Amino acid sequence: MAAAVAAVRPLVTVQSLEGDMATDTITTVALPDVMKASIRPDIVNFVHAQISNNKRQPYAVSKKAGHQTSAESWGTGRAVSRIPRVPGGGTHRAGQGAFGNMCRGGRMFAPTKIWRRWHRRVNVNQKRYAIVSAIAASAIPSLVQARGHRIESVPEFPLVISDSAESLEKTSAALKALKQIGAAPDADKAKESHSIRPGKGKMRNRRYINRKGPLLVYGSEGAKLVKAFRNIPGIDIVNVERLNLLKLAPGGHLGRFVIWTKSAFEKLDSIYGSFDKASEKKKGYVLPRAKMANADLARIINSDEVQSVVKPIKKEVKRAPLKKNPLKNLNAMLKLNPYAKTARRMSLLAEADRVKAKKEKLEKKRSPITKEEASAIKTAGKAWYQTMISDSDYTEFEVFTKWLGVSQ
Amino acid sequence: MATVPGQLIWEMVKKNNCFLVKEFGRGNAGVQFSKEPNNLFNLNSYKYSGLANRKTVMIQPGGKDLSVVLGTTKTKKQNKPAAMLHKSVMRKEFPRMAKAVTNQVSDNYYRPDLKKAALARLSAVHRSLKVTKSGPKKKNRQAVRIHGRK
Repeated sequence: MAAAVAAVRPLVTVQSLEGDMATDTITTVALPDVMKASIRPDIVNFVHAQISNNKRQPYAVSKKAGHQTSAESWGTGRAVSRIPRVPGGGTHRAGQGAFGNMCRGGRMFAPTKIWRRWHRRVNVNQKRYAIVSAIAASAIPSLVQARGHRIESVPEFPLVISDSAESLEKTSAALKALKQIGAAPDADKAKESHSIRPGKGKMRNRRYINRKGPLLVYGSEGAKLVKAFRNIPGIDIVNVERLNLLKLAPGGHLGRFVIWTKSAFEKLDSIYGSFDKASEKKKGYVLPRAKMANADLARIINSDEVQSVVKPIKKEVKRAPLKKNPLKNLNAMLKLNPYAKTARRMSLLAEADRVKAKKEKLEKKRSPITKEEASAIKTAGKAWYQTMISDSDYTEFEVFTKWLGVSQ
Repeated sequence: MATVPGQLIWEMVKKNNCFLVKEFGRGNAGVQFSKEPNNLFNLNSYKYSGLANRKTVMIQPGGKDLSVVLGTTKTKKQNKPAAMLHKSVMRKEFPRMAKAVTNQVSDNYYRPDLKKAALARLSAVHRSLKVTKSGPKKKNRQAVRIHGRK
């Protein structure tokens, strides 16, 4: 791998500024290995969070707060709670609770102390990993864009400018240079964003906020460009030897827009070393190995090696059959209970019989009766009436008793 | 140069980037929109992402003259943002613009999966550029006050 990398080392063109010596040949520099390091947002985020703690200043409430009273509890029996109470009289304060965090004028719960652990130590290898990651991310346009930088007019990433920029002395010249390399929109964005901070921070000496612009990295110590650029809002200027994660990944987010001068860019290899050669400045440091040699997942998935062993795509769709209710669906019922067929038939026949019988019966009742039958009914009725009348005509009780066959 | 595969960029960018639209819901909305350039549906997804894909399609109104700009990214200029887009300005009538878009997106095997999205965006952009005969519609979003009533 290393040999191949050395053979096809990609080149980065150096963007020339206007005042440069008119050399027609376009200068290029080799891409340092740091730019190929693995990009680990998790490490950058963690290290940034830890490092940013180191700028904090201790704060605490006064040690005496809430304890400057000679209050004592009244004890039980006074029908008030046993919290210490301020002694004396003649003032409203007398008799009020004191000390407790629930009391007005009491101390806070677990009062803050200045000996809190404000600062964090971070392993040096982790810090280097984070910086290397941040540098690598700054060479990828998508990530720089995703951080919110305006880079539509930038000619190339990583953006390297010629060393004549290091000798710029005036801010007006610096602005002109930014315009030439297409970094002006980003600087303008940072300038336009200068506004009053929302929230309480305004009253805590953090009144104004603005976006971050490009980060300018220069190579030679004591370069003039520091003073030329430092008054442009949003722009940070830093020496390659002293790259800082807080500048490279503000807020722990990868992809700061970095402008390198040529001398700074050339120094990167000696400062951070390569994958097999140790760094010259950091003792025994080699760039972290990537977890995957090839992170192009789509390429791996679509490779012949993988595609030749994976199962073919399942085209036909297997659907679960719809469950049928056997109480409503006869066929489903017959599958469960074959006798249901006979039972159903029998019940149907029985029903038909019953209907038929009833119909006959009703039919018989409803049909008009014949003459003989009618006269027979009439005579029978008359005969009954006659006997009733004759029987009701009885005169003597004896006759009746005799008639009944009762003897007294 | 240091070409990072799109999949990796997408993993880094999908949860947190400056183009995400955070306005709707408390992060519980069904769709997540994205304001990035080169995103045909303005959706935060790998397929439509303008950041993570090497090949992207851009369709935008071209300016004052009711033209439409069709842009596609050049795969060999990935780290040259200024020269990345292959832009063409279209001032034709709609069917011919649609033909040009299908040619550029799908028929030349550039991004066949984006054909529908590109056509949809083209028609949306085209519709937005249309000027009605009676001039642009006046939008009155304020409550109309009626005098003489309580």
